[in-house]
Amino acid sequence: MASFKRTLLVVLAVMAGAAAAAAQPATSGCVTCHAGLAEARYAAPAADFGGTDVHRERGFTCVDCHGGDARATDKALAKAPATLYRGKPSPQAVVAVCSRCHSDAAFMRKFAPRQRVDQAVEFAASVHGQRLATGDTAVATCTSCHGAHGIRLVSDARSPVFPLNVAGTCARCHADPAHMKGYTLPGGEPLPTTQVADYETSVHFAALTKANDLSAPTCNDCHGNHGAAPPGAGSVVNVCGTCHTVFATKFALSTHSQIFDRGCVECHGNHAVLEPSDTMIGTSGDSLCAGCHSDGDSGFAAAGAMRREIDRMKAAIDASRALVARAANAGMEMSDQELALREAFNHLTLARTEVHTFDPAAVSAVLSKGLAITTAVDQAATAALEEWRFRWTGLVASVIAILVTVVALFFKVRALDRDHGLRA
Amino acid sequence: MAGRAIVAWLDERVDLSGLRHFVAEKTVPVHAHKVWYYMGGLALFLFLVQVATGILLLLYYRPSASEAYESVKFIVSTVEFGWLIRNVHSWSANLLVLIAFIHLFSTFFLRAYRRPRELTWLSGVALLFLMLAFGFSGYLLPWNELAFFATKVGTGVAGAVPVVGDFLVRFMRGGDEVTGATLTRFYGLHVAVLPAITTVVLALHLLLIQRQGMSVPIGVEKRAREGVPIAQMPFFPNYVLRDLMWWFIALAIIAALSVFSPWELGQKADAFAPVPAGIRPEWYFLAMFQLLKMLPSHILGLEGEMLGVLGFSLIAVAVLLVPFLDTRAARGEPNRPLTVIGIVGLILFIAFTIYGYVAA
Repeated sequence: MASFKRTLLVVLAVMAGAAAAAAQPATSGCVTCHAGLAEARYAAPAADFGGTDVHRERGFTCVDCHGGDARATDKALAKAPATLYRGKPSPQAVVAVCSRCHSDAAFMRKFAPRQRVDQAVEFAASVHGQRLATGDTAVATCTSCHGAHGIRLVSDARSPVFPLNVAGTCARCHADPAHMKGYTLPGGEPLPTTQVADYETSVHFAALTKANDLSAPTCNDCHGNHGAAPPGAGSVVNVCGTCHTVFATKFALSTHSQIFDRGCVECHGNHAVLEPSDTMIGTSGDSLCAGCHSDGDSGFAAAGAMRREIDRMKAAIDASRALVARAANAGMEMSDQELALREAFNHLTLARTEVHTFDPAAVSAVLSKGLAITTAVDQAATAALEEWRFRWTGLVASVIAILVTVVALFFKVRALDRDHGLRA
Repeated sequence: MAGRAIVAWLDERVDLSGLRHFVAEKTVPVHAHKVWYYMGGLALFLFLVQVATGILLLLYYRPSASEAYESVKFIVSTVEFGWLIRNVHSWSANLLVLIAFIHLFSTFFLRAYRRPRELTWLSGVALLFLMLAFGFSGYLLPWNELAFFATKVGTGVAGAVPVVGDFLVRFMRGGDEVTGATLTRFYGLHVAVLPAITTVVLALHLLLIQRQGMSVPIGVEKRAREGVPIAQMPFFPNYVLRDLMWWFIALAIIAALSVFSPWELGQKADAFAPVPAGIRPEWYFLAMFQLLKMLPSHILGLEGEMLGVLGFSLIAVAVLLVPFLDTRAARGEPNRPLTVIGIVGLILFIAFTIYGYVAA
């Protein structure tokens, strides 16, 4: 996903570079007339196209999509049948108009050689495309997401399909109950309109918007963009696994991969994927395992064992960290131990990954390496504290010895001074 | 008994009568300000501690950018009593500079530099400058982050010197930047060049003191001329044992500081790391550092930093030439304006040092 997104951004960045060189002013008869019209629906396209528009900047004009004669100054001549004037394309025609260029590899090579040319094919396979083919004109087409007259590059932060704006673009329809009325899930239930609201509570949304990680997933990363559709229960692991590869591999080897109908979603949810925590596993009431397993079955025992092992490791790291901090605060050199504790923490992270095998032995094997590290750290920190006590004992003994010597010297000097008549 | 036999054996071969006479006859004046006499002996003791601990550190220290930090870490964490030697070396170095400053100011205010002791003053000021050079070069040797960036700033200051500034910076750094070449350069300076020069200057300083004896304050000297005799105490054993008391007290203080407040090693120097917050030089350069930071970029059309460096250089020259500038002291007369200048200078030095700590 991330690599595709990067590739797309690179392609569009190259296009942006070309734009600067090939920028053309929008001077045509169409613009001259439309810009002066009072009705917004006629004037706005001319204004939008005259602003930032990737097509105009590459020399395309109104007639490339709408037909007509841009040189004509008379409305009737400009829109005469002989000019192949098409007017505003219908939703079905929009895809054809766009794909006339965007599906033509030879043509696109002149402008964006690395850009894909299969968007129309993908769209035809999408839920949007399939419904459009049945005559549903309320579904999204190219212009619904990209805009029509002020089309910006995907890499442009103001583009509606820039990663940070995708959820908002999808929400324009999918979060609108009136727009979505009548659409249903395969089971017949109404299609919910809470997906974006749920997504905005997720760890993915936080990564994208708070950590500014543009590789974090938004709607199109899981559903596809031109070929947008629900991933399907059987494909969820593959979809999540495009980023979470190790987890997907571990899960694929587990018994749960045969049992969980919805794969990762069973535990982590779909749109509202929350920050995972250790409380998700175990046998207590708030753990997810306890939702299916009960006391006496092997899964219940395995969940309890994994949680205990992880808690043990966490406690060991906390205890080691406190011990190392005590020694470091006492002035002992503990940087090697601080580094080792980071390695122990890495093993805790690996164990959390290993949980997706649902095999306590695998989790324990990883944690035993981490526990060996904390044991060695504890020994070193204890030895350091012992050494620190030795130093203090040595200091006290040395200072006492020195002070006794100083006092003895003081009296000796007084006696010598008296002998020399320097003191009464 | 064995001691006497050894002395007799030596006496027979190298004639110790001169030394015996020196020890028996040498005296030290006794007056209200005699406490300041101990500062010189204390500085000498701390210097000897530096030599001894420095030699021990040399056994394990490795002067290269890739190994310096690790070798110091090895010394403080693995070598038996390595922590003690390194901490004593670091704390003793700081106390040495402090005592050297006290020694300089006490000598200044007591006018002990006046004729015929001008050479003793010159060699003493030279020794203080040498101690500062020891401190500057030694600070970099652990090759940690703070020292690295402080040295970068410190050596960069030399760039403000007119005409030869760039050459000086390159000469000190061994290149355009502070690198491993700077480290080996500072190491050579710290363990070979500076000790060699110091040995000669220190020998001259001690020789002059023994030849000329202790100076007494102008007031005491005046009373002596008026017929009030100056009490004298035998150098050996009365004064030597007093010196020894001070040395022992210094040793206890260094030991306590080494255990109570070990010198931090910090992070290894990384030229590509962002400059850490709170970089500052050793405390004895802090007043100069703070003053340079506060100077405006341009003063009367000239670069502020350049004027600052020139000002410090002039102060250093003036301090060196004090015995020749203070003609009143040479005549045995008090010099109140100079005392005021000295007090103001001391207060400014302390104030800017404290301000440097607070500002950092």
